[in-house]
Amino acid sequence: MDKVPSTIPAVLKRLRRRLAVGLFLEIWPAWAIASLIGAGTIVVVCRMFVATAAPYLAWLWLLPVLTAIPALVICVQRAYAPTDVAAVADWLGGGRGALLTWFETTDPAWSDSQLIRQAATFPLPRIRLRLPQMAVIPALVFLAVAWLLPQRVRALDASAALADEIASDLKAVVVELKQEALITPEEEEKLEEQIERIRASAQERVDPSSWEAADALREQVVTGLTEKQEAVKWAQESLARLAAAAEALGSGESLSNAQTAELTKALEKLSKTGLLAGASENLKGMLQAGKMPTDPKALRDLAASLGKYLAETNGKFANAAGLGKEFGRFDPSEFPTGSVSSPDGDGFPGSGGVNRGRGDADLTWGKETTPFDRFKSKPLPPGVARSPEDWSPIVSLPGAPQVSPVVSAQAAARDYAAAAGQAAWRRSLAPRHQTAVKKYFAKDKDK
Amino acid sequence: MSTETRSLLDPALVADSQAKIARVVNELRRVILGKEQVIDEVVTALLARGHVLLEGLPGLGKTELIKALSRLLSLDVRRIQFTPDLLPTDVTGSHILQENEGKKAFVFHAGPIFTNLLLADEINRASPKTQAALLEAMQERRVTTFGETRPLPSPFFVLATQNPIELEGTYPLPEAQLDRFLFKVEIAGVDRAVLEEILTTRVHGNVPLLDPVLTANELADLFAIVDQVHLPRGVANYISRLVAATHPGSPDAPEAVKAFVKYGSSPRAAIAIGDASRGLALLQGKPNVGFDDVRRVAAPAIAHRLVLDYAARLEGWDGRRVVGALLEAIPEIERGLPRTLETR
Repeated sequence: MDKVPSTIPAVLKRLRRRLAVGLFLEIWPAWAIASLIGAGTIVVVCRMFVATAAPYLAWLWLLPVLTAIPALVICVQRAYAPTDVAAVADWLGGGRGALLTWFETTDPAWSDSQLIRQAATFPLPRIRLRLPQMAVIPALVFLAVAWLLPQRVRALDASAALADEIASDLKAVVVELKQEALITPEEEEKLEEQIERIRASAQERVDPSSWEAADALREQVVTGLTEKQEAVKWAQESLARLAAAAEALGSGESLSNAQTAELTKALEKLSKTGLLAGASENLKGMLQAGKMPTDPKALRDLAASLGKYLAETNGKFANAAGLGKEFGRFDPSEFPTGSVSSPDGDGFPGSGGVNRGRGDADLTWGKETTPFDRFKSKPLPPGVARSPEDWSPIVSLPGAPQVSPVVSAQAAARDYAAAAGQAAWRRSLAPRHQTAVKKYFAKDKDK
Repeated sequence: MSTETRSLLDPALVADSQAKIARVVNELRRVILGKEQVIDEVVTALLARGHVLLEGLPGLGKTELIKALSRLLSLDVRRIQFTPDLLPTDVTGSHILQENEGKKAFVFHAGPIFTNLLLADEINRASPKTQAALLEAMQERRVTTFGETRPLPSPFFVLATQNPIELEGTYPLPEAQLDRFLFKVEIAGVDRAVLEEILTTRVHGNVPLLDPVLTANELADLFAIVDQVHLPRGVANYISRLVAATHPGSPDAPEAVKAFVKYGSSPRAAIAIGDASRGLALLQGKPNVGFDDVRRVAAPAIAHRLVLDYAARLEGWDGRRVVGALLEAIPEIERGLPRTLETR
């Protein structure tokens, strides 16, 4: 072995490495292609149906690399044995058997022979990638294309998000009203049910009706609040009148039950709306007994405590007044009517009116409404039913009103039928057509 | 890597042997012009101590080649012209009743087979019974007559000839007989240049006079050296796969074998290839057998051992063509290169 040419082990080592590389390139591409196609398919499926998996899809790029591990294991199992390497080397060198013989015998007498030296000068096989190996590229392209696909957002998810957004807005209103103690538990429960119904409807299908329903609910809330505020105002006014009457009383006099009846009714109405829940127990007892104090001193005490309570309650309405504005409701304070000089509009851009202002309104590029806000309607201010007492006659006409003679519909129809077609007959029919028309359309008496 | 050290033939001994063989080959090439491959095959078979069947048209030098070989090797040569009326005893010899000193006894008279080099000319003209007389001699190198077995002289070669075109009055050699020939060498015609050379250098076609170049002892030494030529395991594996693939039922058999071969080669074919490869390797001055040696001896060693189907005759396939397809289909190394590697 000492006389063995040093080139032979080196050549055999190089050949063994080359064979190992070739073996790996023969085995691994199949695994890599399968993994790439599998990963691409997974990406496509996730892009279409599993939006939540999007953050984890990047790990799929490691799959082809990971497949190198089993491929390497197989390569180790199928590795060329030293005798195989020697056989391949001998075959590459012309198949003269010299390397095989040297490998089996290692006879030093022949180690330095020309035969052995020639056998060690074989060309190493070169790597050539064929179709199975090149197929990795289209598989890679498939994964890349699948990767570049946009994530599909399911309509159901978008609907759910919008439904949650609508419901959360409404629930925020309910929470605020509850904090201000402006709604009763029954009203709160009813509102929760309605909100849930709106949310379920919006989740199934998103259309303008979802926002319309939400706005209708807000209208309902605001209307209820207005009624309650009116009740509070009525109670305050009643209390003020009663207090004034009590001040006018002389010593020893007391108020009659008729004078306290209005306040009693106002407080009963207030009680029905639940706004007396925070009132004093004394007041609640008087209401339950149905008797208001008629004594001036007691009345003053009642007026002081009740007035304070009503003022606080009214202040809560002032706090809740911002709700409507927050919901995008019409706020008349933003459009002061005093500045409008003409019913046709002031001519300023965007200020409304018949002439709608000048046409040089500034464009708002980039400040368009977002898609979610696009369908939010801007509801008109609620109509507030005024008290008939606020109405006053404009003018009084003397005498009875003049009434035109009534013509019944039957009589008008008869008059029309009598003259129907005569005008066309006389004016439009050409003389040369009259015979033919008369033949088919004339009545028997005209023929 | 194997750590066991086995000795190969000494390089000087191999070189000396190659020189001796080269003398024989060169002398034969002086006699038989333009038949280098035939000469190499015959000498290879001689070194492997195998019998050779020469097949070719008349006048192509078959007999002359054998005669020249006998002169060069200083061997005893006998010639038997096989005819239809030839009897087995005409080949092996027979017992004749003789009187010696008043006593009569059967005395064995050795036939022409008791020689070193037997030229069996036109062997297919003898009857099968006579041909069968050669079976034991060719395989066992002995002759049995009247219950007595006599060894043949060593070395013993049968160099037979047969004519492939004259079929009338001939008896094709049975498979058992063919299997005992190491090689079947087919002698093709010569080209114009060789003919011109023959015409200009030979008068009446007489061949040059030859002197012996090898003694019997030297030849025996050569035989011993041939036996020591190393046959690597990888090459032996190739031979075994090659011979196994001659059977149509083998999974490695190529389409040509499956379509045209009725019976494949016997194990004797593998032995013949191994022996012949050793002889050819020594002829080339190598201490070992290589894949290239196997490929060169495969056709003459296998072709005549294949029993071809009738379809082969219809399609024009002969044994050598089938062996050619076999050599193309069976790779030298059992485990080749990965598909991602290619030779330069």
